[in-house]
Amino acid sequence: MISLEDAMKEWEPVIGLECHIELTSLDSKMFCSCKNEHGDAPNTNVCPVCLGMPGALPSPNKEAIKDIVLTGLATNCDIEKHTMFYRKGYMYPDMAKNFQITQGPKAFCMRGHLDLTIDAPAANERVDIPEAQGKDGSYTTHIGIHLIHLEEDAAKMVHVGGREGRIEGATHSIIDYNRAGTPLMELVTEPEMHTPEEARRFMEKLREIVLALGISDCSMENGSMRADGNVSLRRRGTEKLGTKTELKNINSFKNLHDGLAFEIRRQAEILNEGATVLQETRHYDPSTKHTIPMRTKETAADYRMFPDPDLAPFDLSDEFIDEVRAMLPELPDQKAERYQKDWGLSSYDARNLVKDPTITAFFEACMKQKDAQKLVKPLANLLINDVAQLGNEVEDFTLGEGPLTPERAVSLVGMVDAQDISTKQMYEVLKFIVDEDKDPATIVKEHGMKQVSDTSALGAVVDKVIADNPDKVAAYKGGKTGLLGFFMGQCMKALKGQGNPRALNELLRQKLQ
Amino acid sequence: MSDIFGTMSAAQIHQGLASKEFSAAEMTDAILSGIDAADKSIHAFLQVTPDLAHEAAQKIDQAIASGDFESMGPLAGVPCAYKDNMNLRDTHTTCASKMLENYVSPFTATCVQDTLDAGCIPVGKTNMDEFAFGSTTESSVFGPTKNPWDQTRVPGGSSGGSAAAVAAGMVPVALGSDTGGSIRQPAGFCGVVGVKPTYGVVSRYGVVAFGSSLDQVGPFARNVHDAAEMLNAIQGRDPKDCTSQQSAKDFTANLDEGVKGMKVGVVPAFMESEGLAPEVKNAIEAAAKHLEDAGAELVEIELPNAKAAISAYYVLGPCEAFSNLARFDSVRYGYCDEGHKTLAEQYEASRAKGFGAEAKRRIMLGSYLLSANEYHNYYYPAQQIRTLITQDYQRAFEKVDVILGPVSPCTAFKLGEITDPATMYLFDMFTVPVNISGNGGMSVPLGLGKDSSMPVGAQLICPAFGDENMFRVAAELERCYGSNTVAPDFASAAQANASAGANASADGSASAAVSADDQKGGTR
Repeated sequence: MISLEDAMKEWEPVIGLECHIELTSLDSKMFCSCKNEHGDAPNTNVCPVCLGMPGALPSPNKEAIKDIVLTGLATNCDIEKHTMFYRKGYMYPDMAKNFQITQGPKAFCMRGHLDLTIDAPAANERVDIPEAQGKDGSYTTHIGIHLIHLEEDAAKMVHVGGREGRIEGATHSIIDYNRAGTPLMELVTEPEMHTPEEARRFMEKLREIVLALGISDCSMENGSMRADGNVSLRRRGTEKLGTKTELKNINSFKNLHDGLAFEIRRQAEILNEGATVLQETRHYDPSTKHTIPMRTKETAADYRMFPDPDLAPFDLSDEFIDEVRAMLPELPDQKAERYQKDWGLSSYDARNLVKDPTITAFFEACMKQKDAQKLVKPLANLLINDVAQLGNEVEDFTLGEGPLTPERAVSLVGMVDAQDISTKQMYEVLKFIVDEDKDPATIVKEHGMKQVSDTSALGAVVDKVIADNPDKVAAYKGGKTGLLGFFMGQCMKALKGQGNPRALNELLRQKLQ
Repeated sequence: MSDIFGTMSAAQIHQGLASKEFSAAEMTDAILSGIDAADKSIHAFLQVTPDLAHEAAQKIDQAIASGDFESMGPLAGVPCAYKDNMNLRDTHTTCASKMLENYVSPFTATCVQDTLDAGCIPVGKTNMDEFAFGSTTESSVFGPTKNPWDQTRVPGGSSGGSAAAVAAGMVPVALGSDTGGSIRQPAGFCGVVGVKPTYGVVSRYGVVAFGSSLDQVGPFARNVHDAAEMLNAIQGRDPKDCTSQQSAKDFTANLDEGVKGMKVGVVPAFMESEGLAPEVKNAIEAAAKHLEDAGAELVEIELPNAKAAISAYYVLGPCEAFSNLARFDSVRYGYCDEGHKTLAEQYEASRAKGFGAEAKRRIMLGSYLLSANEYHNYYYPAQQIRTLITQDYQRAFEKVDVILGPVSPCTAFKLGEITDPATMYLFDMFTVPVNISGNGGMSVPLGLGKDSSMPVGAQLICPAFGDENMFRVAAELERCYGSNTVAPDFASAAQANASAGANASADGSASAAVSADDQKGGTR
């Protein structure tokens, strides 16, 4: 199959996203006072309204309106003061009323945008380099948001006997109405993304913002954040959009990226053969890394949309919008800017520190410690790289809880800065902190991990390594300077990893000359 | 003593309890046996709720014994019936449809709860056209209700059961719902007072929806004062219905003020309508004359777009009904035709067998009208017409306080007489515009028509949220035409009893059956 790189040379992908975000932090559902909680026993958080009993009427959750206006303001949208809910009709048991309450052409939030920065090497997916390219190989691109609207979620259905709970081959279906009527935001972008990486970054950034707003836990795993991706190809240099396919219900950033990448390659092959792409909905299967067509309906659905007569049109006041605006927290972009301005961090570090509110909060707590200001760069590295690695390696590790306190983090990077321990040792100490719940200084002492920086002690080791490896020394001197790493390794091995790498490096270079 | 209560007003029953002339238990027993007797021929009730009634009566008797009764409102102890599209917890809500034949409500509608909170005694649920689609109560899957004035005739509809129950003296008050005339028309046909308040005055929560933007709940009674007390009890903002509005008026406040200085609008175009029966026309003209004699000023007004109301109504109504009835799919509750292989087949068969002809007609119509290809040809223009009609009324009410006109073009017709739906739809021509605009309207009895000897009703229409205006004028008409009229077949025994015992006929109002034309003569 054609590679993504080759596909992108001739064809320009045009990608649009639909993102669904459940407002998990709300106490009650969208149109009734039932608990907004899926984890409970099935069909326990239900009432006549969300079960569509005869005579029951919806009444909108005002907090949800606040949340969506907040999201709109945080994503540069115009807030539509005059809007209403519509009924979208379809006969299916996951909506007890057999219609879903959603919004029509006018949503609460319209015409917004996000500016995305794509870092190298992911930036290389883009064949045509956008103008706003940074020195570090990153570029920034502007993605329009068509609208963000509010709706009620459907019930959860499980098809028993079907593969992966799917309906094909199922003997019967069971329904949990706990999710029916829970508040859901849907964001529709303009088709303005051109690489799978841009789509992934859009979703990540949206998640960062929504997490900062505190209105959803945005768990792709649990389905509180889901995405549909549309993609079509057009020959580079042309304007007319090609036929699109839609990937439904993608549940991870990686799958979004990989699913779109596969679709681009698949479509490029079809187009290269002179055939036509079929407009259809497809399912991305991460186990095979392929997309497969989903069951297609013979005819386009007619949802018979019309304004919901049970719900009066909205007339949001300027006071209400201002009140919500005043609730806006400092957003990730603003934070990143402040970090660069106040603490001299690079754009890359600043952006990565604001990706996750837990990291951001921890970082800010660190910066309140004595002497933290001059350690800001290593602190950023610790949080972006080492702590992330720790999270992958250690089960149940949650930043901000447990033994790793901001005090210990600052003291840890301070020891590296003072050359008491090497950067390599730092990670070891970090693990010990989590395991043993002790201060870094105590750990270093108890484990005898202090870094050897003394030139005479190091010199002796270097001399011995040089003496033991005459062939390699000859090769090095003959131009194979890459062997420096070998010598470093040998020295470190002899020093049990405690040698000061900078000092060792200098000594080796000197003595090998 | 059962029949004496049949002629008593709600106020008289409340008064009788207060002065301990009878107990709530006695009165409730009598009312229930009265229903038993009368309903054999009338079939106004789909369900009688003796247990709930006795339970409520017991509470009233306890309140009387403890002295708490005096602090209870004027509806305490008053028996009330509810249209069977209103949920009353643990009772059936059938909407007179096979679809909901065995459906038991898990909750109580706000309007019903309001009456219970006011101390009303719930005696049962009344017959109606299936899902309120109709003007005769003939489309009830449980069989039609008869008009107490002439049992070969329809009581009107869709709230025909409530109207007939009040007219036959089975209950002093009842609730109905009105989407295109479903309170006012049966009130007119049965010679009782029926009120469709301004849209938003009464909560719709718990009332099975037909046309959500058109439906409004209102009371039936045999006099204006009782109807006003009922509306007092059920009015107001309900957080569960976001189309309901703040309202805390006393609709009895101005009943004795007379109409001197009021401006009463008449619509000449309505009075010249094709199909308006002469006896109805004469009765309305006589009523107008009476109001003028009583000091009101008659002002001719125009409602130029009202003629398009029926067209708009038969677009908007079916569209909303199509969507509102989509939930009846046989899965969670309601009629289920079992044994099908696929869900789609089960839906189709259950809905084909569970809904009657008129319901299916409106569902299909709504489904077509809302389809993507037709939306802009029908639904959208219908909403534009709605705006124009609403503006017509706004302009009219800059000039007048109330509008007087007919409720229906004729008096009650024979059962089975009208079978063509399109002909039937036209009988709503005077009531439908009021639902389209959202204004309030009520039907007030004007005695009997000269030709048919059946009750004729006058319709009073009020400015939006100016419902007190129509009550004031209605009280004036009542002073002329009499009140508390029970249909003669059901009043005679009562009268005999009443004059023999109790103080039921204190105001002698059970004297029934004054011809509208006689009255006209009388006022000259």
